[in-house]
Amino acid sequence: MQQVVMADKEEKKPVELTVACEHPGILFALCFDAEGGNLYGAGTDSAVYRVDVNTEKPVAEKAWTNHDNYVSSLVWNNGTVISGGYDRRLIWTTAETGESTRTIEDAHDGWIRDVAAFPDGSRVVSVGDDMLVKVWDAATGKPVLSCEGHAKQTPQGYATALYTVAVSPDGGTIATADRIGDVCLWNAETGKLIRRLQAPAFYTYDSAKRSRSIGGIRSVSFSPDGTQIAIAGIGAVTNVDGFVGPARVEVWDWQSGKKLFTAEDKHNAVLNHVSFHPTRPLLVAAGGGDSGGILGFWESGQGKLTCKAKPKGHLQRFLVDAENDRLFATGHGGFQIWSLQRLSPVVG
Amino acid sequence: MNVPSISSCGSSDHSIHRRGFLQGALSGSGATLVGGLAAAADTPSGDALRKQQKRALFIWLAGGASQFEMWDPKTSSETGGPFRPIQTSVPDYQVCELMPKLAGLMEKIAVVRSLNTEITAHAPAADLISTGRPKEAALEYPEIGVILAKELAARESLLPDYVSFFLSTEGRRRPETGFLGGRYAPLLLEKSARPQDIDLPQQLSDLQHKEREHLRQLLSSEFASRRAGADLVNGYNSAFAKVRGLMQTDHLFDLDKEPASMRERYGRTEFGQQCLLARRLLEAGVPMVKVARGFWDSHHDNFESHRELVPDFDNVFSVLLTDLEDRGLLESTLVIVLSEFGRTPKINKDVGRDHYAAAWSCAFAGCGIKGGAIHGKTDPDGKTVADGEVNASDLAATIYTALGIDPRKDYHVGLRPVPLAKEDSEPISTILT
Repeated sequence: MQQVVMADKEEKKPVELTVACEHPGILFALCFDAEGGNLYGAGTDSAVYRVDVNTEKPVAEKAWTNHDNYVSSLVWNNGTVISGGYDRRLIWTTAETGESTRTIEDAHDGWIRDVAAFPDGSRVVSVGDDMLVKVWDAATGKPVLSCEGHAKQTPQGYATALYTVAVSPDGGTIATADRIGDVCLWNAETGKLIRRLQAPAFYTYDSAKRSRSIGGIRSVSFSPDGTQIAIAGIGAVTNVDGFVGPARVEVWDWQSGKKLFTAEDKHNAVLNHVSFHPTRPLLVAAGGGDSGGILGFWESGQGKLTCKAKPKGHLQRFLVDAENDRLFATGHGGFQIWSLQRLSPVVG
Repeated sequence: MNVPSISSCGSSDHSIHRRGFLQGALSGSGATLVGGLAAAADTPSGDALRKQQKRALFIWLAGGASQFEMWDPKTSSETGGPFRPIQTSVPDYQVCELMPKLAGLMEKIAVVRSLNTEITAHAPAADLISTGRPKEAALEYPEIGVILAKELAARESLLPDYVSFFLSTEGRRRPETGFLGGRYAPLLLEKSARPQDIDLPQQLSDLQHKEREHLRQLLSSEFASRRAGADLVNGYNSAFAKVRGLMQTDHLFDLDKEPASMRERYGRTEFGQQCLLARRLLEAGVPMVKVARGFWDSHHDNFESHRELVPDFDNVFSVLLTDLEDRGLLESTLVIVLSEFGRTPKINKDVGRDHYAAAWSCAFAGCGIKGGAIHGKTDPDGKTVADGEVNASDLAATIYTALGIDPRKDYHVGLRPVPLAKEDSEPISTILT
């Protein structure tokens, strides 16, 4: 059995926090301008912050404030940052100047929870609390598709949420996932629902002991070849007053509708973000909960945990910079930059 | 301790028995039973008050509801959270956008935004708010609801004086009867919204049941004259009379007796259906009802949980107020919305809010309340009380005063006079008619 390495306890850490750019509050969103070497993050204070990752001592500087509520998502689009927020707006901002060039008011009838870009940059897709999936022309801001299929309420009749969206590497499929554990796969050209998967283990509601819902699929991601999706959140919650439940990832062959494996860890946390490593056979997920923050690495074939690190604060979002073996993250307390350079020997 | 049942039929169907009944469903603290009865006998309630048929309903949001996401929204980016304030029907007063229905009914509701109750641990905070007093080693105080039930109950009524719905497991507490004793304990509904074990066994007729009751009364009289005092036996007799009353009023707990449209108005959530039951009980003459809704303790995902809980509260509370008013009951029914404390201005790493008692809110409506009155305010971040600070004792004095009960009225525990509300308390006059 492959040994799980506790990163923080090893002398030579397989993953290592190299930079922490502190920022009060919580940053939910993150995008990266690879060419310019700038990270952009945003969250509870509505502002977008920029970090030049190539300087010796990176710091977070306030770049612009164009939203007036929490910013949930940022997408890099050829010099423009497209952002979505709880103010229901989608905003296009020129990164260099901070000037907004387009605002779509009421892009959703409710909080915008996530925005994702198509691989060719031609379109973006957003999800919101109206439980709709909306595709937009990235150049003109014109609506292209609106897809309806997620339940409008929880089975108990309460408000639900459509937390996450991802686009397949070929741009042909959109995956979305919600609070009650439903995943929908959509044809990105027609908006037709291709497949619905159900992962109820991510949703806890116990009418006798826990009469408040908790959990949800907080993140969805396609594998590099597009055949699989990973979904992440929290497993069965034993105390709804805190994130007291196992960090949970499931990997599915979405075309056959077959669940391939579940990766669950005893670390009590909700995983806010999951992604396949672009070049290594790894699943990466991050979050936080009663056991503290977590940055975990699972072998992507069978879901064995290979490395677990304890980040500074709870993480909300990350990006893997495969070229430089780095991982950028945002969350409670600001930006973090992790080195993954020693990760290879661990995963063999 | 195993106590043999006095039910002679031998059937386990008839599971209410003398001691079990008094210590169980309708009983609270056995330890203070005898002293409590003596104290109660010393303090007859005012008939005039009872004739007015005043009632009270506590809505207890167990775990601590967030004042920011309800009655005292802020726009500060540090503490305000993502929900926005909306204007209410009361000029210059805004509530959280999660309460659009109540925003339109604020002229019927009074809000206190300036509670400072200091204690931030669940159980002691709930004790404080429920009794209006800090704990005292020498004397166990009854909860406000217990006192209200005693003060407002019609003497001849066979209905329970106090019905407490607490189906939520979180923060569940049984109203303490303190020095008043078990006689004043509420009917506790914890497993189901309908009292359990109140049907006669199939093999026992109503006539047989009455005959047994006559025999019990005879034996009780003998027991009172030879062994015990009249106070003790009167307490048991009163409790048994309540059993008969409860058995005859079972229909009050049957929501199928309500039109489907009314059930829909309240919503099909557990909280909604319990509030509808509460209205049925109040209308029938139960003077004190408590409905608890748990799981407000939002240390993580505060906004997700309030996004779920507050709209339900908004709907249910607005329908309840309208329903009470339509039936002519609101004027005589005091409705109180309380938690053990509020939630922190600071949003924690789990996007949650923790316990906070230094500046939080509660709401009132109905009997004795000046609708639309907003008492006190907090600073722009909601961290401190900026004006009109009140404490738990003041809340208690306000509740008594609103119902026409003198908060300075003394009960006597032995020779010690004990005022209903703490000596230094002041009713919040700005919200009282």
